[in-house]
Parts: sequence; structure tokens; C-alpha cells
Amino acid sequence: MHWVNRIRNRFRAFTNIQAVDRDLDDEVMAHLEAAAAEYQSTGLSREAALLAARRDFGAVTQVMEDCREVQRMPWLANMGRDGAFAWRLLKRSPGFAVAAVVTLALGLGANTAIYSVIRGVLLRPAPLPSLDRLVMVWETDRTSGTTHEPASVPDFLDYQRRVRTLDALSALTATEVNLTRTTADPERLLTLRVSHDMLPMLGVATVAGRGFSEPEDRPGASAVVLISQSLARRLFERPEAALGQTVMLDERPQSIVGVVPDQTDFGVLQILSTAAYSRSFADRGQAARVDVWMPLQPNPATLPRETHPIFLVGRLAKDSTRAAADTELVSIAADLEREFPVNRGRGANVELLSDVIFGPVRPVLYLLAAAVFVVLLIACVNVANLQLARGATRTQEVAIRSALGAGKGRLFRQFLTESMVLTYVAAAVGVSLAYASMKGLLALAPADVPRMSFVSLDGTVLGGALIMASVVAITFGVIPALQARRVDLVTTLKDDGAGKGTAGPHRKRVRGALVVAELAAAVMLLSGAGLLIRSFWNLQRVAPGFDPQGVLKAEFQLPTSRYPVDRRVWPNAPKVHAFAGEVLAKAAALPGVTNVALAAAHPLDPGFTNSFRIIGREAEGVNWPEISVRPISPGYFETVRLPLVRGRLLADADQPEAPAVALINQAAADRFFAGRDPIGAQIRFWGIARTIVGVVGNERIQGLSSPPPIAVYVSIFQAPGAGVLLVRTARDPLTLSNAVRNVFRQQDPMLAVFGVESLDQALSRSISQRRFAMLLVTAFAAVALLLAGIGVYGVFNYDVAVRRRELSIRLALGAARSSIVRLVVNHALVLIAIALAIGISAAFGFTTLLSSLLFGVQARDPMTMLGVAAILAVIAIVASALPAWRASRIDPSRTLRAVD
Amino acid sequence: MKPVDLVQGTLDLLILKSLGAESLHGWAIARRIRQLSREVLQVQQGSLYPALHRLEDQGLIKATWGVSEQNRRAKFYSLTKTGQKRLDKEAAAWHRLASAITMVVSST
Repeated sequence: MHWVNRIRNRFRAFTNIQAVDRDLDDEVMAHLEAAAAEYQSTGLSREAALLAARRDFGAVTQVMEDCREVQRMPWLANMGRDGAFAWRLLKRSPGFAVAAVVTLALGLGANTAIYSVIRGVLLRPAPLPSLDRLVMVWETDRTSGTTHEPASVPDFLDYQRRVRTLDALSALTATEVNLTRTTADPERLLTLRVSHDMLPMLGVATVAGRGFSEPEDRPGASAVVLISQSLARRLFERPEAALGQTVMLDERPQSIVGVVPDQTDFGVLQILSTAAYSRSFADRGQAARVDVWMPLQPNPATLPRETHPIFLVGRLAKDSTRAAADTELVSIAADLEREFPVNRGRGANVELLSDVIFGPVRPVLYLLAAAVFVVLLIACVNVANLQLARGATRTQEVAIRSALGAGKGRLFRQFLTESMVLTYVAAAVGVSLAYASMKGLLALAPADVPRMSFVSLDGTVLGGALIMASVVAITFGVIPALQARRVDLVTTLKDDGAGKGTAGPHRKRVRGALVVAELAAAVMLLSGAGLLIRSFWNLQRVAPGFDPQGVLKAEFQLPTSRYPVDRRVWPNAPKVHAFAGEVLAKAAALPGVTNVALAAAHPLDPGFTNSFRIIGREAEGVNWPEISVRPISPGYFETVRLPLVRGRLLADADQPEAPAVALINQAAADRFFAGRDPIGAQIRFWGIARTIVGVVGNERIQGLSSPPPIAVYVSIFQAPGAGVLLVRTARDPLTLSNAVRNVFRQQDPMLAVFGVESLDQALSRSISQRRFAMLLVTAFAAVALLLAGIGVYGVFNYDVAVRRRELSIRLALGAARSSIVRLVVNHALVLIAIALAIGISAAFGFTTLLSSLLFGVQARDPMTMLGVAAILAVIAIVASALPAWRASRIDPSRTLRAVD
Repeated sequence: MKPVDLVQGTLDLLILKSLGAESLHGWAIARRIRQLSREVLQVQQGSLYPALHRLEDQGLIKATWGVSEQNRRAKFYSLTKTGQKRLDKEAAAWHRLASAITMVVSST
């Protein structure tokens, strides 16, 4: 089988070049020796004979090279030749090469960057092996209409006992603890209290030590904790060294029994922010790195059915589905509702954990993927156009090559190689761009995008980029190859070769279609960007109800060990009140500070809600939603500039011993006191009736895009529970950061202070996801517009160049210059009109992707569409008129006399 | 008489023919062709070796390493079965062509 030999030879020629060369050498030497021997036999000296033999042989290296050529794989050799040829060609037309490479690099780079984000966030396998089997069990509340509420402890224990469709049901709450050390400032650590079976259920194994045991999860059990790997490293160098150590958490010694791997983010932040209430640190906006794990120790005695503090995560039993679990838990909840009057209106709602985690980011990422794909499409169309234009001027070359015997396949390969060289260079540039922009992208991304830390340009992403580039390259290789198929050898060769002929009708149609395609794609992106910009604009114009400018916040939490709140003498808590009074006085004394206040929650923290009644209208109140309770110090209203609508504000005189008073916001007044005077009415919650003494404006405490909820304001001296210091200054509030930290350090050096930032920063972060989507889509739309403009310009520039003779004749015959411009622009207008029609109908589909990101504007907003149409039309008309105008400036006599 | 250039495409035939009887190394093939043509046909070394490698690649001849008369490691070529078949075919075709050309050229 000679082909076996052949393959072996080829392979050898490829892998063992030295051996092949040695063989060739030997063969030639044997030849020379033999020839020399013959010369010697005629009487020549050995030297002369060798010389003569060499002379006869000719160029030894040339012969050897020719021999090597035979053994090399011809297609490989051809590819190398084609590659070199393509490179030379591209170098000869640098304008085309640069335009094509830059265009494709933009498209490929943007796609690579977005793909790496999507892969990192959505596609990469989760660190949790059984993520797709995990579900969230929410409680629902028909009276307030919430579908995502945490559960009560007794409900959890009942669910756990009765459920069959889940083989595990585990609970968690998120909190924060102060870590105090002798060697450093106290710090605030994100903490989860979890059921003992939470980690095994998630499939997380400790890296050192053990998880919690069942007895440790009982109320009153000894204090044991797990800590994260990174905290263990920070405190004890090695995870193993942490075992058996004691740490001071909230000023209580806790013994470390295990270390949890760092990659255990199962979406805590997303779970918390999905919840209607009890968001805990979800609004902090920092990366959710949980450092401390404590046993939940659920105690129905201290946490009765009325309170809903815990989040339930379950694992589907074998053969069970989310729908089955939902059905079962809904019926269990219905049973509980019958059994316990306090559960009136309560139901259950089961969601896949992965939907909870990725639900909010999916639309944004899909939107970006779609946007970036459109950019790539436009880039491709542009390069296709360039290729078409260039192909037209290359028909001569193609014809000559065909005449010399180049087969269709050979020509096809040549074109393919050219477009590959082009595209891979572009891909390299694009990937570098993506790599360079990655940092910016990650910095821009909102912190609540899950698993952002997994985003990187790894091998898979590069592989994806390579595949993408290859598809693009093949597409572009095909276009000129197909064009070459249409080349008529005889007429082309007879032509004098200057591309005198006008573009054929076929080619003109193709270019027209491409122009329409890229303009339509640009319309889609532009309208998306337009809607997002308008939404963002609307959002920024929303009055938050308070004035964030010039306010610095600093958060803290008083440990109950040293700041006890005794229920029996409540609201009198001397230590807490003394702390509040002294901190307020110290902060007010800081230079540059105009107002100070303490509050349970800052104006962008939704805080907590409670059920309430208006005295005398108890029956009505059964169906009222919960109200946001906002404990504040009297200075709060001046500090955040929350206006008084009527009545009076809280005063320093509203002390624990004074009659209990409250303010309600306008929303509550409108809802519950329509046509009546709220002043003087009594509102009851937490077992105390308070007289309403005033009405204040609305604060958008749930974020700018949510309407302000009903709220009641009470003095922290009549409802202890401050957690944030607010300081107003006429200067840049951030300059006060250290001074404010110092206030706390002087007051209580054991206290951890966190979340020190301006309200402006907090406000800006609350809309960061929208900003992220808006900025990126706008950037892509700008690129798309630029590319489309360049594309239109390129096409019409070429069109005009091809028609130069025709236009010159028209001019020579007396056509006005303006009519020449009109002639070209009219053609452009037709294309623009078609493109707008297609683009806007496509945009309607595209913008529905956006609906969750829109605010105060409809997905089919006619004003936006009109604006987009106007922008695009202007750009396209300018891009087509420019070459037309240049064409009208030409001197017809010169063009017509010129020998092409 | 001056050596004449080979008619295009005939080198392969000459090589195959020269290898009909025994296996030879490159120089011996050139010598054989020279001798058989009574010094008329001079094979250019520059084309001989690429041709040999090409024929080997096509499986018409095969090579074995041996030792030349000068005690040199040399590559000896011999015909394969396919090579023999090709030789017969090409030789027949050549005869037809040559006699046809002779008829035309010598006609009066």
C-alpha cells in the first residue's frame, strides 16, 4: 500500500526535518562522488574531478529544496504561499486592510468581552454541584401582595416535618457581626446563620475541620462558628491553624470548628435582594463574601409565627420537580393557614434557586449579548461591502489567474486564506482590546451581578473568539469567491483593466441590500440605547424625596451585650440613649458639619416594615399592608432635607418619658387619611399607640424606580434602634470620613463602623445596574452608528467612483452640480427609508428585551423611535452626500480625456 | 553532436525505463540514460532528483538505502508494480506518438 508509505514520508518530512535533510545530503554526496569517480577515471585529479562534478550538478541547495517540496504537504505549502500572498496584498492596500481589521476588531473584541462576562456569570458551572436541584421556598402574603417573603421559624419547622417533594429543607438568615481583635480595629463581617444541614445540602465541604452537628443547631447550644478560608488565612495564616481557636464576635467568644471554602457563594446577595423585606446587607452593594457561619438554632419561643426572618432553601427529592414542590408547599401552607389564625393570608411560593440568582441579571446580559452581536453583524456587513468593492477591482486579477489555470477550488482557497489572515489579525487586535477593556468593564459592573469574580478571558473564551472569527472569515472568503465565479474571462481580459465598466446590476443590488441591513441593525441598537438613556434620564430626574448631596453616612450596630434594651422599661434604654446623645454632640461639633442625625436606616435603606392599626379603625386595618417604620433622631429632617407638609416635626422634647408621638409620610396620609386630618389620630404598632403630630414628604427608600412606600417616623428616643449616623456638610462629604470614624473610635473603640460613604454614592450605586446596561448599550450603539456611517460612505464612495465617467458626461452635458448630488442622495434616501422601516419593526422586538430596564418610557416609545430615525437619516445622508459632492466637483474634461 | 533537451514530460518515462532491469542510484540513472541514448540525452541533475522524489511519492518507484561503488551511503531506486504498469503504458503511448510524428515529419 504505497499511500501508507506516502503518509509516513509526509509525516516524517513534517516531524523529522533533520533526518530528511540528512538523507538528501547523502543522496547528493553519493551522486557527486560517483560523478567525480568518472572524471577521475579520465585522468583528472581528485580535486578537479570533484569540482567538475559539482559544476555539472548545479545549485545543490536548489535541488535539495525542490526535493523537499515534493514531500511536504502541498496544501500546507499552498496555504503558506497563500498566506504570504494575502499578506503582501493587504500590505499593498493598507487602507482596505486597516479599515477591515479595525472594523472586525471592534466587533470581535466587543463580542469577546461580553461573552466572557456571560460565561463567567451564567454559563460557567456553579461552584455548587447540585444548583439545579436547589429551590427557594418563599412565603407569600395575600394582604400585602408580596410573593417573596422570608418564612417564620414555626412555619419552617412545620414545612420540614410535612414536606415530601424535598429531601432537605434548610434555613438561613443573613446578619453582620463585629469582629474585635486586640491587634486591629474592629471590623464588620457578613455572617450567615444556617441550619446544621445547610452546607451538606448545598454540597459544600469544609476545607478544614467539620460542619455543624445537629445538637449545635438547637437553641441554647454552645457557641461554635465556621469561618471562611480567606478570614482563616488572614487571622491564622493557615486554615488548619484556625481550628479550636476562639474569636470575639459581637464581643462574645466563639470557638472555630471548621473552615469553609471561599467559593461558596450560592447567591446570598441575590436571595436577600429578591426578598420583599429583610434585605439585610443586600443593599450594601459590596461583594457578598460571607466570612462567618453560625448555627441558626431556630427557637419558636423567641421567634414566633408572626415574625418572618428566615430564608428557606430546599433540595428537590429524587424524581420531584419545582412544580410538584410548589404544589405541595402551597397546600401545606394552606393547612397552616387553617391551623393558625396568625397565618391568615399566608401562602408559599417555590422558585428554582438558579432563577433567583440569575433572574435579575439574565435580561441585562442577554440584552448586551444581542447588542454586541448586532455590532458584529454591522462590522461584518461593512467588511463584506469593502470586499465587494475590492472584488470588483480584482476581477482582472481573478481572470488572469483563471486563464493561467487556477481552478475554482484553488481560487476559493486563496480568497479564504486572505479573509482568514484579515480576520485573525482582527481577532488578535479585538481580543487585546477586550482584554484591555476588561478591567473597566468589571469596574463598571454593578456589585450585585452574581459571580462577577469568575469573569476572565480564559481558554474557552479565546476558543469562542477563534470560532467566531473563523465563521466570519469563511463568510468573507465565500463572497469574493462567489463573485469570482461570475467572472467572464473573455470580456474581463479584453477590458483595458482600469475597472472602466460600471458595476453590474447584480452587484449593485447586493451592496444596496448590505447598506439596508447595516442601517436597520443600527436602528435597532440606537432605539435600544435611546430608550435606556431616556429611562436613565427619567430615573435621575426622579426626586428621591430627600437631598442626598452633602450627606455622609456611617453605619454601625450596637452590641446588645453592652447596650442592653430592656423590654420592661422600653423605650427607656439609658446606655443606648446616652450613646446616641454623645455621638450626635461629637459629630455636630466637627468643623464644617451643619446638621447631624441618627437613624435606624439611611434614606436608601428600605429598613423594616411592621403591621399597624389606627386606633378606632382596627377593623379596616386587617387588610392594610405593613408600614415602613423609620426610627430617627429629630435632626433627621434637616439633615436629609425632608420637608414637613403639615403639623410639627419631632423635637428633642420627645423623650422616652414624654407622650409617644409619630409622623407619617404623605403616601400614608393619602392612603389612610384621604379627606380626614391625620394630626391627632393614633397609630399603634409594637404594642404602643402614638399620636400623629405631623406629615412629612415621601422618601424613595426602596430605590428611585420604586414608588415611595407608606412610612411612619418615630424618635429613636421613643423607639431605640439607631444604626446609621448621617452628617450634612457644605463641603465634599467624603472629606469628613476620617473625622466621623474618629467620633466612633472615641465613643466606643470596640464598635465596627462600616458603609462610610456619601448618600450620593449610595444613590448612584442603587442605579448601577441600569447605568451599566445603559452605558454599554449606548457605547455599542455609538460603534454601530459609526460603522454604519462608514459603511454607507464606503458604498457610495465606490458607487460614485465607478460612475465617474457617467457623472462627468452628465456634467459635460450641462447637468447642475446639485443635481449630481441629488442623483446619488436620492438613491441613498430610498435605501435609508427601507432600512428605517425594517429597523424600527425589528427594534420593537429588540426593545421588549429591555422592558425590565425601562423606567418612565414605553418599549415602543414613538418619540425615541422618531429621534433614532432622524439621527440615522442625517448620518446616512451625510455619508452618501459627501462622495456625491466630491463627484460633483470633478472636472469633466479631465475625467473624460483621461486614458484609463 | 550536441546533447538535446528533453521533450517535456518524458523525463519520467526515461527514469522508469532506466530502472526496468535493476535498481540504481541517482547518478547511475543519469548515466544509464546518457549511455542508452548514446550521449544524446543529458539529464539535468537539477530536475532528476525532484523527479525521482516525485515518482517515489506517487508510488511508481521505491527506494532502499545501499552502498555505492565509492563506498558511499546511497539511495537505490527500483520499479514498483504500479511503476512497471505505468512504464508499459507510457512506452506504448510514446511509440505511437513518436511513429506518428516520424510519419508526419518524413512525409514528402
